[in-house]
Amino acid sequence: MKANVGRKRGKKMVVSFILFIVSLIVLIVELMPIMVVITSGFKRDIDIWVRGPFCFKPTLQSYKEVLSNTDFLMSLKNSLLVGVSSTVISIIVGAMASYGLTRYVFRFKEAIAYTFLGFRMVPQISLVIPLYVMFNYLRLRDTLTGIILAHVSFNIPYVIWLLLPFFAAVPRDYEEAARVDGATEKQIFWRVFFPLVSPGLVVASVFAFLMSWNEFLYALILTSVNARTAPVAVNGLLGQYAPKWGQLTAAGTIMLIPVFVITLSLQRYIIKGLISGGIKG
Amino acid sequence: MSSASLLGNSKTKKSGGACPHWFFIIPALVIVFAILIFPVIYSVYMATFEWHLFYSAERKFVGVGNFIQLFRDKEFLHSLWLQFGFVVIALPIETVLGFFVALLLNREGKFYALVRSLLLLPVFILPVISGLTWRLMLQPGYGIISFILEKLGFGVKAWLAEPDFAYGMVIVQDVWRMWPFMFMFIYAGLTGLPKEIIEAAEIDGARFWTRVFKIILPQLRPTIATAFLLRLVDALRIFSEVYVMTGGGPGNATMLLSLYINKQAFEFFNIGYAAAMGVVLLVLALTLSFFIVRGNIQFEGERG
Repeated sequence: MKANVGRKRGKKMVVSFILFIVSLIVLIVELMPIMVVITSGFKRDIDIWVRGPFCFKPTLQSYKEVLSNTDFLMSLKNSLLVGVSSTVISIIVGAMASYGLTRYVFRFKEAIAYTFLGFRMVPQISLVIPLYVMFNYLRLRDTLTGIILAHVSFNIPYVIWLLLPFFAAVPRDYEEAARVDGATEKQIFWRVFFPLVSPGLVVASVFAFLMSWNEFLYALILTSVNARTAPVAVNGLLGQYAPKWGQLTAAGTIMLIPVFVITLSLQRYIIKGLISGGIKG
Repeated sequence: MSSASLLGNSKTKKSGGACPHWFFIIPALVIVFAILIFPVIYSVYMATFEWHLFYSAERKFVGVGNFIQLFRDKEFLHSLWLQFGFVVIALPIETVLGFFVALLLNREGKFYALVRSLLLLPVFILPVISGLTWRLMLQPGYGIISFILEKLGFGVKAWLAEPDFAYGMVIVQDVWRMWPFMFMFIYAGLTGLPKEIIEAAEIDGARFWTRVFKIILPQLRPTIATAFLLRLVDALRIFSEVYVMTGGGPGNATMLLSLYINKQAFEFFNIGYAAAMGVVLLVLALTLSFFIVRGNIQFEGERG
């Protein structure tokens, strides 16, 4: 009897140990490419080519070169500007629309909602062809306005989609009370609802910013010199003949810092956003 | 709970004669029309022309000609086939991995919480950086994967110059990046289940597999279906990772759909023809996304 219990416990410990090892392996495999990016950033281009993957003598040479590369710095500034602007626009416009759709009843509401939400998943390559021709015509190609608009095109539907349940969850008493107090419709939205759905706004802003920050295809096609964003600039470091891996991974690490900081510190929000809408490739 | 009930849950409201809802909806409507709906309509229009990017004035109306030509275009059919293979191979692997790791990491303790957090990182890494990193790791001589393959006796090879291997690695790259997405989704679904069922999911010898297939899997089926559908639309329009990793090559061994459309539009400048392909991809994606919207993944369990 006693031996049996002991064996059972022993078996349980073995299972636990195996699961621990398997989880550890999963984690190491998943993080390996990320470690490659981070460590390569601290190597010189020449060391990467010549010394093989396991030689590691950390130096800041690649960072120095990248951070004195004005093209890259400008693209980083552009990325930041585009990310923040497209997020702010999408949040304001999207929150208003989401509010309108959940709190009022009117004709064509369903059709409008389906249009907003369905277009969330337009393939970028399908949209970039007409956008290219339109932007050419409107002289918006290679301008920050143009690329911001392009990013707003995927962020607005996402924000609306994500905020719908947040607005829907606010009890009606709140707005009735505000109305009794004589608040106008706009005041109700700004003063009552905006604070109440703030968790949703955080999720939506974080996601909108990350999607813009990570975006590549629109930037590649719709910008060239002036409005080029950082992902395109990073890819540009590949060069024609000799890829500058050290600089490229250093630049990549710089791009990854905000992503990882946001992802890990706002984890709970991030998972919520992920689950409610997937992400853009 | 359908989207209809969500949208309709507010009673008609007296708002002093005016239509305040339009005040809230019109800005979004205008922007969405300008940068989504109009461009989509315009691309359908473009698709009916033989249209060279630099000679717009000389475009020629061909009706459905472009769409007919698609079926005779061997490269298009090839890229359609590659795209199909990509989805059919990558997604099931991601789903199965995601599911089992969700069971594996469904344990208490700081270590497991840490693993669950860190698994978020690949999902949010910039697609461009992911593609470039895999490219670096496969460089002959100094890439870490090439290096290991060499030590294992496969010789020094430019791995990304081998057509089948390059295609395989494009899939591996996607699996690496995206199975944690499936994991997050399924894990969240799992923790939302009643306690008895979560306990049934605990990994310990006795009849574990039976419990997985008889109890856990049926409960999680809607979650998995939704996650799969979301991934499917994303996988259909994959571009950046592959573009920076292989550029569609070697030859056209990894020329997935978006890459081929990009090539026709911005390397050969056949934007009419490219627009036609874009419309085909669009119809596919919008059909799928309609099911996602109708399946109202998001509207459940959050209403007050």
